[in-house]
Amino acid sequence: MSALGHYLEEEGIATVAISLIRPQTEKTKPPRALWVPFELGRPFGPPSDPAFQKRVILAALQVLEREKGPVLIEDFPDDDPRGRPDPAWHPPFIPAGVAAGSDGSLAARLVAEIVLLRDAHQRWVAQHGRTTVGLSGLPISECARYVADWLRGTAPASPREGFSAPLMLRFAVDDVKAYCLEAAAAEIAKPSSRQLGDWFWNETAAGATIHALREACLSSEDERLKLIAGNFMVPAARVRGSG
Amino acid sequence: MTRLTDLPPAQAKRLAELECPDFATRPRVTGPALSRRRVAIVSSAGLVVRGENPFRGRDPDYRVIPADTRPEELLISHISINFDRTGFQEDWNVVFPLDRLRELAAEGTIGSVGQTHYSFMGATDPVQMESHARELAGRLKSDQVDAVILPPV
Repeated sequence: MSALGHYLEEEGIATVAISLIRPQTEKTKPPRALWVPFELGRPFGPPSDPAFQKRVILAALQVLEREKGPVLIEDFPDDDPRGRPDPAWHPPFIPAGVAAGSDGSLAARLVAEIVLLRDAHQRWVAQHGRTTVGLSGLPISECARYVADWLRGTAPASPREGFSAPLMLRFAVDDVKAYCLEAAAAEIAKPSSRQLGDWFWNETAAGATIHALREACLSSEDERLKLIAGNFMVPAARVRGSG
Repeated sequence: MTRLTDLPPAQAKRLAELECPDFATRPRVTGPALSRRRVAIVSSAGLVVRGENPFRGRDPDYRVIPADTRPEELLISHISINFDRTGFQEDWNVVFPLDRLRELAAEGTIGSVGQTHYSFMGATDPVQMESHARELAGRLKSDQVDAVILPPV
């Protein structure tokens, strides 16, 4: 981000960067940055907390008015209050027959799980007025089937013109994750991202499918598929054996 | 809350040691008081308006996000999966604080909000983004924008 700021400043536009990784910002030396002590993915802190978010953006914009330079990195003082787990949160109910079982039936269990989460997801959409599912452009049931077909080893063709099959697999996996995580947060409780991630990666058929698919694709001869499976399906912190 | 010390050691090391451009110059543009600035967001979250092409891999160009884009229209297509998406799922302002900017403009803290906002995909090599960023500067100027906030993800 700091590099973009450098180019824009050279073209005559004042910038202030939000920094999530301070060592990177220190190396790039932008004219102005505000480091924030938040989780990656949350540059403005907690969701559904307009007052806190406004403090962050205002702190960043106020760096524009400082006289100090040519490099100024300030620090935002407060942690994200939504980083803490919510003990009141409970994941959606998934019958044990769907959430566990042999790898051989994983694909079918994924498809069944998506159906089971439909009501919870509809509640999410009603609460928030939106969903972030949609990168693949496919309905979620087709996403699940597409991912399931990959796990069955059928290497299905891309259902979308102009998008390769491995790219569509990546987008379909992203959509399945988003659907499940939205469904899991469709209650009054406010789970932390770690609570949601623990549930998704350890307890759902979707998480188990993506783990299994990653392993299967890593032994593929298709280098692009190996690249996508190795790096863009399972977060580094969730790869089995990563500790 | 996550600092680098909260991440798996290998990921923290990779992020801290990521090669970053070392620029020879230190450009620093000044401007009027905040209350007279026109502010735009240039994100690197790989944001894309629903229906437009998501970022593929490390595309070096940017996507346009008109100011009348609704929250339900904005998606993240960043290639990295090593950051939280649940915050954005609940509230787009976590990544793209357009509502907060509008509030700041309404109360007079900033002058106005740009007509158009933009997103790159931050995992791209910055050198590859340079020509696109310089071209974008022209578009920002034609919208009278004189302050840009650059959120990563």
